[in-house]
Amino acid sequence: MPRILVIEDDDVTAREIAAELTAHGMEVDRIADGGEGLVRAVDPRYDAITLDLMLPGLDGLSVVTQLRAQGVTTPVLMISALSDVDERVRGLRAGGDDYLTKPFAPDEMLARVEVLLRRHRPQVRQTILSVADLELDLVRHVARRADKELSLLPTEFKLLEFLMRHAGQVLTRTMIFETVWGFHFDPGTNLIDVHIGRLRRKIDTAGLVPLIRTARGSGYSLAQTD
Amino acid sequence: MVRGTALRRLTDSWRSTTARLILIYGVFFALWGGLVIGLIYWQAASYLGRVSNDLIGRQATYFSMLDERTRLHALDDYDTLETRRLNAWGVFDAQGRYLSGTITTLPPKLPINGSVALLPRGVSRNDNSNSSDDHGRVRAAAVRLQDGRILLITRDTSIVDRIGTIIIRALLWGLSLAVVPGLLGGLLLSRGPWRRVNAIREATLPIMQGNLASRLPVGRRGDELDMLAGIVNAMLDEIERLLGEVKGVCDNIAHDLRTPLTRLRARIYRLQQQFDEGSEEHAVLDACMIDTDALLGRFRALLRISELENQQRRVGFDHVDLAEVLREVHALYLPLAEDRGQQLQLELPALPTIHADRHLLLEAFSNLVANALKFTPPGGRVEIRARPAADGPWVDINDSGPGIPPDQRDAVIRRFYRTESSRSTPGSGLGLSIVNAIARLHGYTLEIAGSERGARLSLHCLEERVA
Repeated sequence: MPRILVIEDDDVTAREIAAELTAHGMEVDRIADGGEGLVRAVDPRYDAITLDLMLPGLDGLSVVTQLRAQGVTTPVLMISALSDVDERVRGLRAGGDDYLTKPFAPDEMLARVEVLLRRHRPQVRQTILSVADLELDLVRHVARRADKELSLLPTEFKLLEFLMRHAGQVLTRTMIFETVWGFHFDPGTNLIDVHIGRLRRKIDTAGLVPLIRTARGSGYSLAQTD
Repeated sequence: MVRGTALRRLTDSWRSTTARLILIYGVFFALWGGLVIGLIYWQAASYLGRVSNDLIGRQATYFSMLDERTRLHALDDYDTLETRRLNAWGVFDAQGRYLSGTITTLPPKLPINGSVALLPRGVSRNDNSNSSDDHGRVRAAAVRLQDGRILLITRDTSIVDRIGTIIIRALLWGLSLAVVPGLLGGLLLSRGPWRRVNAIREATLPIMQGNLASRLPVGRRGDELDMLAGIVNAMLDEIERLLGEVKGVCDNIAHDLRTPLTRLRARIYRLQQQFDEGSEEHAVLDACMIDTDALLGRFRALLRISELENQQRRVGFDHVDLAEVLREVHALYLPLAEDRGQQLQLELPALPTIHADRHLLLEAFSNLVANALKFTPPGGRVEIRARPAADGPWVDINDSGPGIPPDQRDAVIRRFYRTESSRSTPGSGLGLSIVNAIARLHGYTLEIAGSERGARLSLHCLEERVA
């Protein structure tokens, strides 16, 4: 069972995060103070940390900076009321792994924590990703489904790679947009659906088991059949 | 911005009020001066003419009444006493043949009755004081003596004309001495106010671009211009205060409503999870979530505009390959266009790199393209076209939609504004406001025009002037 440390001084938000994470089988510890948070975050038994940037005591940016300076690599999801791209860049530069703007939807937060957990697990540097009968050769840039080569555009390839790396996890539209395109604005719900739709038509052709699933109303996931 | 050219630059100093007044004054001065001098000339000439006529008439009568010897003496005196040889005389027989004197021919049409006549071509003389060509006009009087001979005396009155010439010359000199320095002085004088008006114009540019914090320069002179600038500044203070209040209220509402809305969405989401996918409750709650998301999206956009408007820093600014940005936006929206049966074309000439915030540019062009696609019917065409220009490249987004009526072009940039015909289309109505806010932050202008068939929205990526 993954253990998550929630460093958040707003009681309502902290309870919301804890409720969502516990509901999905995670163990949660809550801390409201930055300094105390830093002391607890060093504990290697935590699999991920959610960190508010505006904290009493020590502010979030300092917490993550000092954490990284001490060689702690636990993934950190930073949560801030500031949506500015500059703030995000600053947070990520300081050593954060992801950035979420308040107020947030719990499913969005959950999806991001799940991705962080996966990232933290020791990964062998793979050159070939495979999910069910889908195969992605990252070196030769070739995608195959049921031994048939698929012709994908560069963006579609990146999109599929992101889905496959996080197979079985829900990826929200915002996460897809941020990771695949690297954009940080609101593109409207329709746009990502269209791109996923295209990929879907190429991968889930007639007669095959559909792999791309629309999940929880807010995102997509690639089925993991094992 | 659409209103960008409302204040024209004062390029020509003749447009300034002072210069115009000086010019009008100069023309009036010249006309009046000419009139006065002309009057003086006319008065002097007619007076001198009258005096000469009177004198010559009297002299002719006087000479005719003298006896022969005295007359000859008197006539010699008449001739020689006048050192400038202005006077002349001649005696002719009854048939007009020359007998004696300095005048050799009798002018044919001269009446022999003592009345004074003006001979414009003068008379021919036998003394070589002047060559006959040189003769100015003379006044002449002829009388018949008692023995039937004719006595002619003349007086050169070209001096009157010369006085006229002198007067006219004096007039021209006087005028040019008064008018030319006057005009130059006026031009110089007008440059002071002109420079100040230009300074005011420069100061209004940032205000027109939405920076309500800047003010017009007020000097210490306290003259009309300073008074006007002061009045405008006071107005700006009030406008800024009111706008700030309105914006603050808007932002506060958006900000305060966002948190409860997010919680509401979370509750719906949790409730939804308790129902099976495919159940009726699940579908209803899904619709609730979509509506809440739309609301949240709108608030997000509103706060985003406010955030952009408050942003003074330009930390994200760097050299950006505009062509690359446009290619990315094109690739991002191409599938959406194709799904809707629309053509999305990209036309890129060679473009210079620009100094801008790449993420904001991507956001702006995405909004513009999304907007164009939204208002273009299926089967229509949207075109992203860049054109280089000396002061920075233009990016046009042309669509084949219904277009934007000219009277609504200013309004579509405003928050929440949507044209009558677009009410049925989903969207927040904030896309163009976001684009405009990004344009302002960069010092770019957003122009809306009609193209042959549809609308054209152009972003002019003005190069920064080195301040």
